[in-house]
Amino acid sequence: MRDVTCELCPRYCTIPEGGAGDCRVRVNIDGKLVATTYGRPSSVHIDPVEKKPLYHFHPGSEVFSIATAGCNLHCRNCQNWQLSQRGGEEMERIYRAEPKDVVDVALAENCHSIAYTYSDPIIFYEYVYDTSVLAHDHGLKNIFVTAGYINEKPMRRLCRVIDGTNIDLKAFDDGFYRRNCSGSLKPVLDAMVIAREEGVWLEVTNLVIPTLNDDMATVRRMAHWIRENLGEETPLHFSRFTPHYQMRNLPPTPVESLHRVWNEARDAGLKYVYVGNIYGHKSESTYCPNDNTRLIHRVGFSVEEYNLTRDGRCPVCRQSVSGVW
Amino acid sequence: MMRRRFLALLAVFSGGLLTRRSIPTGRQRELSLHEADFYKPHDLAG
Repeated sequence: MRDVTCELCPRYCTIPEGGAGDCRVRVNIDGKLVATTYGRPSSVHIDPVEKKPLYHFHPGSEVFSIATAGCNLHCRNCQNWQLSQRGGEEMERIYRAEPKDVVDVALAENCHSIAYTYSDPIIFYEYVYDTSVLAHDHGLKNIFVTAGYINEKPMRRLCRVIDGTNIDLKAFDDGFYRRNCSGSLKPVLDAMVIAREEGVWLEVTNLVIPTLNDDMATVRRMAHWIRENLGEETPLHFSRFTPHYQMRNLPPTPVESLHRVWNEARDAGLKYVYVGNIYGHKSESTYCPNDNTRLIHRVGFSVEEYNLTRDGRCPVCRQSVSGVW
Repeated sequence: MMRRRFLALLAVFSGGLLTRRSIPTGRQRELSLHEADFYKPHDLAG
């Protein structure tokens, strides 16, 4: 019997022959580590890039979005648990889609990018990598939507083929990760720094959960850490929690809480702070950090008005706005 | 006649229950990517 150790994420699962790692989908077959969902997505959709959410990355573009079953975190509040907390063999529906098929269909549907999303694409890493290489060959961009629970070496390698990423920072609190996600905080922070160092466009999401991660001191520390380590121009999305999966005992995030965390992050010096999951909220839009001109007006995932210049500046004061435009 | 109605009713109810119960296993369908409805509304985050 030959065990194998998966070195992709900080779990370092040692997997016996015939067994699977914690993510359910990376298995030991005859002493070899096999990613069983390679070429086998279970969710395939075309979404606006704003849904990822990426607000400073080709706004208004359409994204061919794929995910396979499995995840290397087990968040009690997971919104996509029917996909993420199952192995491939448990899915009712699986598509046959080799990297070439994904790229061909993305092109045929006039998509601008391919997103690896919904579950955590870390666990279908090889599929992401191969598809991304082929996508670049055909002029498509690659978007990686992740919780960032990955080791340094594979993250740096992936950054060579990824153009934009949204990393979900679930809380600036290691205890939260341990209690609610069966993970830890440090690898996530490291992954964000690596994305920044490697030149991948980065936006950060924080789901605000009542009583669990919404205290102002923690939010302040998180915002300061982002400013110091990722830069004040890093977009931060505060997202509204709604009860899901094993966390149905808590109410949706009050709108006032989102206003408070938004103010806290702005006071900490972050220039682009957004509120998500509240349809029509004014903080869905992008404003000039210099003169407060509305640069991109969003309603839900739709771009209603786009006022940035072609080189990504405020048309009134010429302030440069960070992003990939 | 009554028996047939009863069985039909039973089939409707058990069908509903079975659908819910059988989500996790045993009904896997492998489809070509072209069979996906890319624009179908969905509630997946991300």
